[in-house]
Amino acid sequence: MKKLFFALIAFVLFTSHVMYLKLDTYFLEPDTSATINLFNGTFDKSENVIDRDRMLDASLVGNGNRIEVDGSQWSEKDSVTLLNFQTGEAGTWVAGVSTASRSIEMDAIAFNTYLEHEGILDMLDWRRKNDKLEDAAVEKYSKHVKTIFQVGDKRTNDWQTTLGYPIEFIPLDNPYDLNTGDSLRVKLLLNGQPLANQLVYANFKAPDEGHSHGDEQDSATEHGHSHEGADTETVHEHTDNGEDSPTADHSHDSIDEDGHSHDEETEHGHSHEEKNNQTAEHSHDKESEHGHSLDAKTEPEHRHADESEQSHSHQVAAEPEHTHDTTDAEEPHQHTSGQQLRTDTNGIVTAKLTADGIWYLQTIHLVNTEEEGFTHESNWTTLTFEVTHGHGADTHTHTDEEEEGIPSYVYWIGSLLLVGILFFWFNRKN
Amino acid sequence: MTTLAKKKLVSSALLLFPLLLAAHGVSSGDQEILNNGGLLSYIYVGAKHMVTGYDHLLFLAGVIFYLQDFKDIVRFITVFTIGHSITLIGATYLGIQANEHLIDAVIALSVLYKGFENLGGFEKYLKNKSPNLLLMVFIFGLIHGFGLSTRLQSFEVGTSQFLSKIISFNVGVELGQILALIPIVFIITKWKSKKSYGAFYKAANFYLVIAGIGLFIYQIYGYFYGH
Repeated sequence: MKKLFFALIAFVLFTSHVMYLKLDTYFLEPDTSATINLFNGTFDKSENVIDRDRMLDASLVGNGNRIEVDGSQWSEKDSVTLLNFQTGEAGTWVAGVSTASRSIEMDAIAFNTYLEHEGILDMLDWRRKNDKLEDAAVEKYSKHVKTIFQVGDKRTNDWQTTLGYPIEFIPLDNPYDLNTGDSLRVKLLLNGQPLANQLVYANFKAPDEGHSHGDEQDSATEHGHSHEGADTETVHEHTDNGEDSPTADHSHDSIDEDGHSHDEETEHGHSHEEKNNQTAEHSHDKESEHGHSLDAKTEPEHRHADESEQSHSHQVAAEPEHTHDTTDAEEPHQHTSGQQLRTDTNGIVTAKLTADGIWYLQTIHLVNTEEEGFTHESNWTTLTFEVTHGHGADTHTHTDEEEEGIPSYVYWIGSLLLVGILFFWFNRKN
Repeated sequence: MTTLAKKKLVSSALLLFPLLLAAHGVSSGDQEILNNGGLLSYIYVGAKHMVTGYDHLLFLAGVIFYLQDFKDIVRFITVFTIGHSITLIGATYLGIQANEHLIDAVIALSVLYKGFENLGGFEKYLKNKSPNLLLMVFIFGLIHGFGLSTRLQSFEVGTSQFLSKIISFNVGVELGQILALIPIVFIITKWKSKKSYGAFYKAANFYLVIAGIGLFIYQIYGYFYGH
């Protein structure tokens, strides 16, 4: 019973944050200012910002040039890290961010739950088969993310740029030459080499009024919809197997050599509520209140709402990069919904682009390691891009000036003409 | 008829109608401005939306046509402002939204209504006295405010300074409204003394009726076939 209790708590708590590069629209005009949002959390909600000193690389690639992002181009809004830039010349552009490795220490239950929840099923299976389910873990992890967006109409070959990250998706087709209903082939590289037999998840976020091609849709990706309120965003995801995602999440950015740092922009407070009325809540709302030690090796204690003695340790020592409140806790949280794919011997997966929307591919490559102080090493990567159903990029720029390709001045002229004609007609009649 | 053919037909038809383009889409440029500009950017985007969101202005132009003096104009515009401020601030704060096509379709009907009323449609065709204009302006103000709120909610506003952002957007709407009304009031009042005012009055209000119908069809089409 105790084991089950801790498993339930771990299930709720041990959900790490996936990183994504997102744009409001992936079809931009040349030479205009634009913003890329760096999310760390779920695809729908970023839980925390990313410190610039954590980024090993931030690059924009367009028209054959790789431009290093200047530190001053970054800003923050709520829990989102924003990259502000000028789009430059027309072409298919790539942006990428690679972060330094960090580590996390977990007990066996937490680690198993995390593997299951993040869809790292191969490692979970290996632990089962090798009787290692009782082993705790110290995981060294790093995240490397890419996005591909289209500036203007001109397609360029930058979409296939290899940024040289430890793990990286390389499309084999330009996503902006494809439309809804097509398939996208993507090669997965680990340290520059094709990574075979790796689980990859592909999913999409439909636009507000988008549609999907139901007959072609992968069963696992159906039924995604969102309601965006002004204050909070509530996302419902349904999968065919009826599983709901956990109700809360938690990230562990851990043993940083510099210890545990907090900046003013990062609040620490989260609560977790389970559906079966078992409440596992721990709060460290303000820096002064929370119980994390700055020492990398100490165990932070979390106070539970029920004031029982159940504290759990996940020996986190880096900046806790998350903010949870009860609202967050009620939001479904799913990291591995969508199409479950596996790379072939050449490291290639084929994702069916079944619907309009912003698509994201993600994978976590996690292996055992002999490196001193660690039991496991993982590299996380995501790739984002937008898919439309073939009306052309200009129908998706959402500008005030045009819709369906007809500039508004045409309507203004038409209006004046009509008023003029009516005026002369009535004037003559008089 | 294919969807593409239908769209072409509607687009062609729209060209024949005046000001049918309800250019209310969320602009990525505006989102950029909001992301980087603080509260002033909300004032700017609110003003811009009012100036370019001509369905609101068409309705106001229709109201002004009906009025006799400056005092009346101030009174009616104030009522309209109170109406749209209530729903703009209230609905945005509470996160209440409607389908943008449907709310814009109702706004289109308000334009049609005003043109129809100005042309004496109630007396002529319905054999009825037109409803109290001040009350109708207030009701339509509420509807227009709800439309503005839906637009504001389509932006990524964030949670910090939320109420201040809404109020800033509303202030922008009022500023935009004043800016747009100045030339409208000027043209209408100056033209009143001319001999051709009767023809201008009829032409402009017929135009409001046509624009209202066209906008309504456009929004309903967008509701069923848009994406």
